[in-house]
Amino acid sequence: MRLRLLALLALLPLALLSVCPACRPHDSRKLIVVIVPSQDNPFFKSEADAAAVAARNLGYAVRVDAHGDDAFRQDNLIDMAIASDASALILDNAGSDASISAVKRAKAAGIACFLIDRDIKANGLAVAQIIADNNQGAILAGEEFARQMGKTGNYAEILGKESDTNAQIRTHGFHSVLDRSPELVRAAAQSANWSQSEAFSKTETILQAHPDLKGIIAGNDTMALGAAAAVKANGRPTLIVGFDGSPDALAAIKGGQMKATVLQPAGLIARLAVSEVDEYLKKGSTGKPERQVVTCELVTARNVNEFGVFSRKE
Amino acid sequence: MQKLDFSASGLLDTLLRLRAVMVLIALLVVFSVLSPAFLSPNNLTILLKHVAISAILAVGMTFVVLTGGIDLSVGSMAGLGGMIAGTLISQGLTFPGMSTPFFPGLVSVIAIALLAGALVGLVNALLITQLGVAPFIATLGTLYVTRGAALLLSGGRTLSNLGGRAELRNTGFPSFGGGHLLGIPTPVIMMLALATVFHLLAQRTPFGRHVYAIGGNERAAAISGIRVSAVKTGSYVISGVCAAIVGLIIASQLEASHPATGETFELTAIAAVVLGGTSLRGGKGSILDSLAGAFVIGVLADGMVLLGVSEFWQIVIKGVVIVFAVTVDQLQSRMQLRLRTQAQTASLSAA
Repeated sequence: MRLRLLALLALLPLALLSVCPACRPHDSRKLIVVIVPSQDNPFFKSEADAAAVAARNLGYAVRVDAHGDDAFRQDNLIDMAIASDASALILDNAGSDASISAVKRAKAAGIACFLIDRDIKANGLAVAQIIADNNQGAILAGEEFARQMGKTGNYAEILGKESDTNAQIRTHGFHSVLDRSPELVRAAAQSANWSQSEAFSKTETILQAHPDLKGIIAGNDTMALGAAAAVKANGRPTLIVGFDGSPDALAAIKGGQMKATVLQPAGLIARLAVSEVDEYLKKGSTGKPERQVVTCELVTARNVNEFGVFSRKE
Repeated sequence: MQKLDFSASGLLDTLLRLRAVMVLIALLVVFSVLSPAFLSPNNLTILLKHVAISAILAVGMTFVVLTGGIDLSVGSMAGLGGMIAGTLISQGLTFPGMSTPFFPGLVSVIAIALLAGALVGLVNALLITQLGVAPFIATLGTLYVTRGAALLLSGGRTLSNLGGRAELRNTGFPSFGGGHLLGIPTPVIMMLALATVFHLLAQRTPFGRHVYAIGGNERAAAISGIRVSAVKTGSYVISGVCAAIVGLIIASQLEASHPATGETFELTAIAAVVLGGTSLRGGKGSILDSLAGAFVIGVLADGMVLLGVSEFWQIVIKGVVIVFAVTVDQLQSRMQLRLRTQAQTASLSAA
């Protein structure tokens, strides 16, 4: 029994090696390493997928890694990119301050660094920093929320992970609009750490504390969908606005459970980064400034059919 | 349960033993004074629904902890359970050589997810009893393997629209964890049913007595003829199945399954078990204690949301309560030791 189990355990890594695509013999194509926060989040996944597809189509070898918002793990992944002699790095980083030294090291090792979705505070390290304008997006979401609320009534805000820069930028953007209407009152604010199930249970409780709640604005779509499920279970109609433009949120807008979201063009940003990588590796320059900002788009029931997976339909 | 003793030190001992209930009563009083919405029937129903999630994990894990083990894989297993249901409902099963996928009915979907929970429990038990791996390490390993499996099932995507389709005869999943029976939310009924069954299992059956015996002294239990491996296997399987139930409930409530669901749930479950007074050294504690522990954690979390306490303070306060509970646990064991020595001295001097 014990021996057989041990033998099975020993065979397991071999079986895994045979299916692992990155473990195949090295090829001569130039390597682009794509590092994103996670692949279990639809936003980062479509970002990574879009970059990988675009780079493969241009004839590059691609490796996709995830750092799980852990700056230390990101450090290790960048060391591995250096060790595997990557030509370029496309990075959605693990924190604007914590990532500077890692990017510096990659640059020193001769890797062209392209930052997407989140920027770093330092200039001149990355070839390009292409981000969606979270502040502009949050203002769009805030304006639409205020309009649909009729600029009056109690609302709740579900915030993202409070230690995350984007959570802060978004809530700041929401409030730059909402706080201008004195009759719009934020009755409750809770962090749900970007999570759907946490947003669900917190919204259920908030709805009990505030029976007069008219609307909920959430820092991302995942939390907005959790809030929508809680509102559905509660039965009282409540207006919900999210952020990101995920496919599930678009479906919820079509179905009327959500009123609006702001689409961050993750696919566009990733493809833009790949085409600039190609340009840079071939000509030595992208011909564009380091900092590039891509605007977000408001999605409501009126225009929801114009959008696909984190981008406008072609 | 020990007999109640009404002498001064005995009373103190009883109070310490029922500390989770005391803390719970204190919390209920504080929150109902501070928030008018707290005691409304609707809020209490929702509170029970939220408690059910950690309570089901905690009562399942109690057997494992009573044997002196620990199960860190429950959070990942909850994630995997939800993903299995999500995959079966939204994509069905595709066997090699079949052109269209096969969609199992709702009962089969739930059975398969529960079976997966039992299987992970079985693997944990085999690692621990047959290969002699320490429970902490074995279940840490399965924590990662099950989380990875959950991510692999969908390639990291969230599976949504789990309502099923009438033509496939797999509708009804949303009412598994989101429905009501006699006006009571289904998760609450499951929590009560499981707690009752497990309480009887622990207190009235040979299996229960063996669990306590193994936790008290594993060698002595083995020498007295208890089949230690079989009993341990039973407790890990129970824990795994409970985790799968939790995964199903969450996926059903959200009508969506997300592969990262249940991260750090194992810590909440362990906290509930310890808060209740079950000793991590094994042999001491009960199902009802863990239920009380889960209530403390659930009431605390919901009450703070109701009052609008910031996330950062919520985390700090949760930690303080856990540390407090474990400190009291130490205090109690020291006092019991003193009482026993006193009793011995007394009987010696009488002789």
